[in-house]
Amino acid sequence: MSRYPSLATSLRLARRELRGGLKGFRIFLACLALGVAAIAGVQSLAGAILDSLEGQGQAILGGDLSLRLLYEQVSPEQRAYLTRTATGLTYFTEMRAMARNLDGEQSLLVEYKAVDDAYPLYGAMELEPAMALETALAREGERWGAVVENTVLERLGLGIGDELLIGDLGYEIRAVIEREPDRVGGGGNFGLGPRVMADLDSLPDTGLMQAGSMIYHHYRLALPPGTDLDVYRADLSAAFPRAGWRVRDYRDAAPRVERMITRLTLFLTLVGLTALLVGGVGVSNAVKAFLDGKLRTIAMLKCVGAPNRTVFQIYLAQLLVLAAGGIAIGLVIGAATPWLVGGLLARLLPFEIDASLQPGPLLMAAVFGLLTTLSFTIWPLARVHDVPAAGLFRDLLASHHRWPRWPYVLATAGSAGLLALIAVGTAERPLFAIWFVVGSLLAMALFRLAASVVMRLSARLRRPRHPGLRLAVANLHRPGTLTPNVVLSLGLGLTVLVAIALIEGNMSRQVQEGVPEEAPAFFFLDIQRDQAEPLQRLVAELEGAGELKQVPYMRGRIQAVQGIPAEQALLLPDDEWMIRGDRGFSYSVEPPEEVEIVSGAWWPEDYAGPPLISVHRDFAEAFGADVGDTVTFSVLGREMDAEIANVRYLDWGSMQMNFLVMFSPEPLRNAPHTFLATLTADSAHETAIQQAITREFPGITVVRIRDALDAVNDILRKIGVAVRAIAAITLIAGTLVLAGAIAAGHRRRVYDSVILKVLGATRRDVLKAFMFEYGLLGLITALIAAAVGTATAWSVLTWVMEADWVFLPMSVLATVLLCTAITMGLGFVGTWRALGQKAAPLLRNE
Amino acid sequence: MSGHSVAEKDSSIVALRDVHLTLDSAAGPVNILRGIDLDIRAGETVSMVGPSGAGKSTLMMVMAGLERPSSGSIRVAGEELTRLDEDRLALFRRDKVGIVFQAFHLVPTMTALENVAIPLEFAGRRDAFQRAEAELQAVGLGHRLHHYPGQLSGGEQQRVALARALVPEPALLLADEPTGNLDGATGKQIIELMFALSADRGATLVLITHDMSLAQRCARQIHVDDGRVDEVAPVRQPEALTP
Repeated sequence: MSRYPSLATSLRLARRELRGGLKGFRIFLACLALGVAAIAGVQSLAGAILDSLEGQGQAILGGDLSLRLLYEQVSPEQRAYLTRTATGLTYFTEMRAMARNLDGEQSLLVEYKAVDDAYPLYGAMELEPAMALETALAREGERWGAVVENTVLERLGLGIGDELLIGDLGYEIRAVIEREPDRVGGGGNFGLGPRVMADLDSLPDTGLMQAGSMIYHHYRLALPPGTDLDVYRADLSAAFPRAGWRVRDYRDAAPRVERMITRLTLFLTLVGLTALLVGGVGVSNAVKAFLDGKLRTIAMLKCVGAPNRTVFQIYLAQLLVLAAGGIAIGLVIGAATPWLVGGLLARLLPFEIDASLQPGPLLMAAVFGLLTTLSFTIWPLARVHDVPAAGLFRDLLASHHRWPRWPYVLATAGSAGLLALIAVGTAERPLFAIWFVVGSLLAMALFRLAASVVMRLSARLRRPRHPGLRLAVANLHRPGTLTPNVVLSLGLGLTVLVAIALIEGNMSRQVQEGVPEEAPAFFFLDIQRDQAEPLQRLVAELEGAGELKQVPYMRGRIQAVQGIPAEQALLLPDDEWMIRGDRGFSYSVEPPEEVEIVSGAWWPEDYAGPPLISVHRDFAEAFGADVGDTVTFSVLGREMDAEIANVRYLDWGSMQMNFLVMFSPEPLRNAPHTFLATLTADSAHETAIQQAITREFPGITVVRIRDALDAVNDILRKIGVAVRAIAAITLIAGTLVLAGAIAAGHRRRVYDSVILKVLGATRRDVLKAFMFEYGLLGLITALIAAAVGTATAWSVLTWVMEADWVFLPMSVLATVLLCTAITMGLGFVGTWRALGQKAAPLLRNE
Repeated sequence: MSGHSVAEKDSSIVALRDVHLTLDSAAGPVNILRGIDLDIRAGETVSMVGPSGAGKSTLMMVMAGLERPSSGSIRVAGEELTRLDEDRLALFRRDKVGIVFQAFHLVPTMTALENVAIPLEFAGRRDAFQRAEAELQAVGLGHRLHHYPGQLSGGEQQRVALARALVPEPALLLADEPTGNLDGATGKQIIELMFALSADRGATLVLITHDMSLAQRCARQIHVDDGRVDEVAPVRQPEALTP
């Protein structure tokens, strides 16, 4: 006997078979296109943003190289070195400050930046009305000029030409900042308020330059073309090994934005992958329906000598060609996303997005699409193996649904495994992706199990007396029922929505309502030593003001733990924030109130030995550190070792002043530092209190908790919109699957409705019977999805975010109603079409 | 154009020994074939008659390697079918067996020419399309090569099916009520063609029919009833083989 047919023969026959067209493949194509578009879109957009960050790195950083110091400027020697080696140098300071209008009635926390004449080295300031920055900031007569972001004008009720007070100095507002090139990378270290920019020479007149004031001194360098940044940085470090500056270069201009984009992208990609998985159910259904129509051809091919392998190849090739079409549509949409959405995002991001084609993300989305296709196609396609050629003789070619043979099971598992592997391998945080993959698999298994339970229960249920309800219950478990499809596809999409709604709801509730009763109304920063007493006195006189608590405050960095550099000593990547930049420290004679000492003991009141520290439990866990270990800090430009005397715990959400590290009083007591204070107050008097304090102490920064919470909520809301939009795609995919399943059941519905009509049912009766079925199905699916989604949200909040959990019934109820409405709506449309069929032709055919 | 030697014609092309087939059903096991012994010589024409449900189609499927018996031996064209796995059986059919169905079973998305070429393509024949075209010429459809099944009449479709069955020059041609879906005149034309062409190729023809006059045209007539075979003696020399 001769050899097996070649692959080329299979492909040739597949091509001929494809002449049958796309009928029945609309849902298949839509499901793939949607999922691939979601992933390709998210990834392309993120790619374009990150490319823009890189491409505009110099403008975003404000130079080729950036040096930042807290509290102090560079030494004359250092300055000379920088001037000598760089082709351009600009120096500016940045700090928090209170901006007020002239009568002091309104005040606002702002990010105040004082720049020299060389600013900006790269990029350009865009002002409205258009003018040169130098002109806008220049001193005219007695008055300095300032430029501000529009929020400053809105919040303080000011306009161009009005006077704005910063500290002791009045500025004339000359223009509104439309774009500040280095807003993201150059400064924005506080993220608390809008920008006010002024001339560096005006800074001394503000009276804000006090010892210990949190002033960041920035230096931006333009380097000669062709400079090797690594070499330059190494030389700089060798020349000034003990300099306290933080060095960054334009290759990593905006690490925080980059980090946020990367994390959000990972999350949105995984949600997009869920949409693709839900769509996979639609793909699988379409393949089943397609094969049902091909059973005769398959049997015939086997009769004329096609081995199973060849038949499988013929149909897999056809499905892959169709899948390629769906994936291509998705890729086109995804590739266009940076252009489509980039414009909208430009208003949210402080830099231009250069829309560009992103081959990497598109390739990744295509691979996800292909592997999803294989994962959901091979299994149903395995049936071709079991189509009996002999069926042609008996004219009996019913579908057999049995467990596929092991090579197909292995191939399915292989492609699904590869999909999971790539999802995990390409994720910035693999552990998160692993949880996602495991969760998805569990959820899919759970929904399939739930569908079986529903079918079994409905089969055992006593038949309801109402005929419509009886038919509905019977339809839940009859052969070819919609139950597994609806429960799995719509259920998965809804679970994602319920979980996200609950997580988001819980987070914003915690931000808004999680504030404890005794929480302060204000935080005060930058209180100078000599202001501590007068502030205490002023507060005592103010109506509505409660308890003022003041603690010493200084910034520093954790350099090493037990001699191991902090980056290497850190055990938990989630705690990277502890070593990223400066942290706030305090010192205290006594342990703070409400603090629980977990291990070790607090130092004696009169302790004056080598520095001891009390670390928060989170610190101890992050570094695996314990009592007796040594931690090295860089505080006020000096390195210093301190021994851990105790580990303490205080809930960060308590709104009490809480520090990662607290020192014993010596020797910091005598170092320059400021104080930090909290003040409780009646909400009715908050505005008056703020006005009084800002008027009396213009240099003290006042953070109103209410405003800060609003700002956090605003960020949460913006992120929530993006997350919900992608989650909605999952639901759309589920809806598509449902629509496909309902369309596939059209013949059954027509037959049922004709029989019911023959037996004397009115159209209304028939419609009611079907609506019962869809309503029941939607409701059951929604209830399961609500339960699984709630469990998911609870797990994420409790275990991953370690936050409090509150069940939010309204979010869940809304989802349940949405699901039932979608199912009934689509069911109604399908039934309406079925009702329009005339009975006679169908009965004649039968 | 015969593909088979005279020596082959004298030997048994089909040899069934004590073939049993029992299928499970909800009501218990059902005996479809009950110990069939049957020999068919190469080049013979054999008709199978009998009431519906007697086991005729099953017997034909067993010969084609489309149904595995519960026990017994099936030797067709020198191959012991019970020893072949599914894919080997497919290759066996491709090379040795042609089948004509009552309902034609053409692939609707392929032209007449492509439908006929399929078995040759599976066999990797480079001249698949030339030979398919010649076969369609032989069944009188040289002018319909590029028509799709939907554009052909029932008789034309069955002629395409016949061409497809004959194109690999099978040793055994099986026909399951080939005229069942055709009107009388068209059916007669198809039968004439089938007898003529199978004789021309030296193929052994086994056909299932309810039409007694058609059955009597065959050299042998086998009566199948309740899973058993009763040999009916040949009434006369088969027409098609008479010189």
